[in-house]
Amino acid sequence: MNLPMRALAAHFRAHLAVMMQYRGEVLLWSVWGVISPAVLYAMWSAAASGSSSGVIAGYDQASFAAYFLMMMIVGHVTAAWDVYEMGYLVRSGSMSAQLLKPVLPMWQSIGANMAYKVVTLMFVVPMWAIFAWIVKPKFQPEWWEVAAGLAAMVLGSALAYLLSYVMAMAAFWAPKLDALGEAFFALSMFAGGRFAPIEALPWYVVPVAKALPFRWMYEFPTELLVGGRLSGAETVWGLIAQLGWLGVLVVAFRVLWRAGLKRYTAVSG
Amino acid sequence: MIRAVRLIGLFIRVSVQNFAAYRFDFFVRLFVSLGHLFGELLAVATVFSNTESLAGWRVEHMLVLVGVFRIVAGGIRMFIVPNMRKVMEDIRSGSFDFLLLAPLDAQFHVSVREFVVWRITDVVLGAALALYGCHKLLGTIPLPQVVLFVFMMIASFTIVYAVWLTLAAVCFWIVRIENIEMIFWNIFEAGRFPIQIYPPWMQWGLTYLIPVAFITTFPAASLLGDPVTGMSPRVPLFASILALAALLLSSWIFRRGLRRYSGASA
Repeated sequence: MNLPMRALAAHFRAHLAVMMQYRGEVLLWSVWGVISPAVLYAMWSAAASGSSSGVIAGYDQASFAAYFLMMMIVGHVTAAWDVYEMGYLVRSGSMSAQLLKPVLPMWQSIGANMAYKVVTLMFVVPMWAIFAWIVKPKFQPEWWEVAAGLAAMVLGSALAYLLSYVMAMAAFWAPKLDALGEAFFALSMFAGGRFAPIEALPWYVVPVAKALPFRWMYEFPTELLVGGRLSGAETVWGLIAQLGWLGVLVVAFRVLWRAGLKRYTAVSG
Repeated sequence: MIRAVRLIGLFIRVSVQNFAAYRFDFFVRLFVSLGHLFGELLAVATVFSNTESLAGWRVEHMLVLVGVFRIVAGGIRMFIVPNMRKVMEDIRSGSFDFLLLAPLDAQFHVSVREFVVWRITDVVLGAALALYGCHKLLGTIPLPQVVLFVFMMIASFTIVYAVWLTLAAVCFWIVRIENIEMIFWNIFEAGRFPIQIYPPWMQWGLTYLIPVAFITTFPAASLLGDPVTGMSPRVPLFASILALAALLLSSWIFRRGLRRYSGASA
């Protein structure tokens, strides 16, 4: 195994132990990922029954249930929080210690990210099951949609992680820009389809949402796994779009990281 | 009593002076406040571009509710959250010792130490939106309803304060959970929309067990005075009883916790 992979495995194990220690705390974070989609399901279900046709953007109550149940799972898998933390790491100088290690600090953060997702499974899986049992979702995916959906979920989580990290690097230039995390969150809600399917947004927001990468992180895998919404061609194009954005973000990361580190040595100590 | 008011005045003055030292921050913060409001209005626009009614609430009703949510969300970050976060930190670090040395009632002291001045923008923006929604629906803003609304908002803030004081007091027993406040934020999330969107059993729970309805839905409904919001005329009475009971209970828990405090590590 090469160095980054060994470091990743070590950080993963270490953070697994940390998260087990703080399982109460981790539980409270992960509950939010269940509450928010559940509230939104209740809201859209009421909105659908209040509309004349009972269907909004092609979703009726049972398919809204499927959409938001799937969004809970996708949201969990794609969770990334570097954009909230980097400002603190730079401001406090904690970044310095991480930079002394012979691998990128990113590997430590990826290890923590994966450990969080594994540890919280034992809380969120029962909550998903209870939610599914209450709302009776209507799933109708073909086998290829399940396969493509799982691949899209993995790609989406890599995308979300990288985008959050790239946006977080603004901290090298403006360490007190805490609003950045909120901007990332708001964009993932509206442009990512976590608040509503993008087709349900007002017409003047739809083109903006479609041009941004957020829909490929959240809505695309969700739609595939709910099933019956995307054609084969749309699916292939979606996967290509995910890979394209990944490429763009990897390049952006390399360029910004190099430039940012130069700033960092100048700023803090 | 006079001394208490003068002390609160003093703490507010210190906060304002601290804040005035970072004037440029204010404009950044104002921008953030506007951003929050914009996001919430976009959510309303999204819902009502697809439907006429949300469990009986129309767009004007929802504007009032969004305004109320913003008042509460901003108001608690102005004077409840900063103080309670400080208590929790102090208990953990042991600097709570110093607080106990002051010749003041501990609960009063921990509740008024800090004010995040710029959050007033949230309260002002929220109130303006709520009044606008009310005016748009009724064509006027009837004074009795405004009085009832202010009363219900006071009850709402009292309940929220009691919840936070209890959460802070829990830290006397369980020191290790750092983000215990997530319990509140998770529940508060359900108050973004009228409770009528939930199934009946959950509405019952959100009224009587975990009184989210009293925090946003009922204050908004009392300003509107519209029967579609489903508020019974007994609600203001319940609200005052609930607020008083919550205040007394949380204060009792806090005092019980105080007795357990043994100076963690100072």
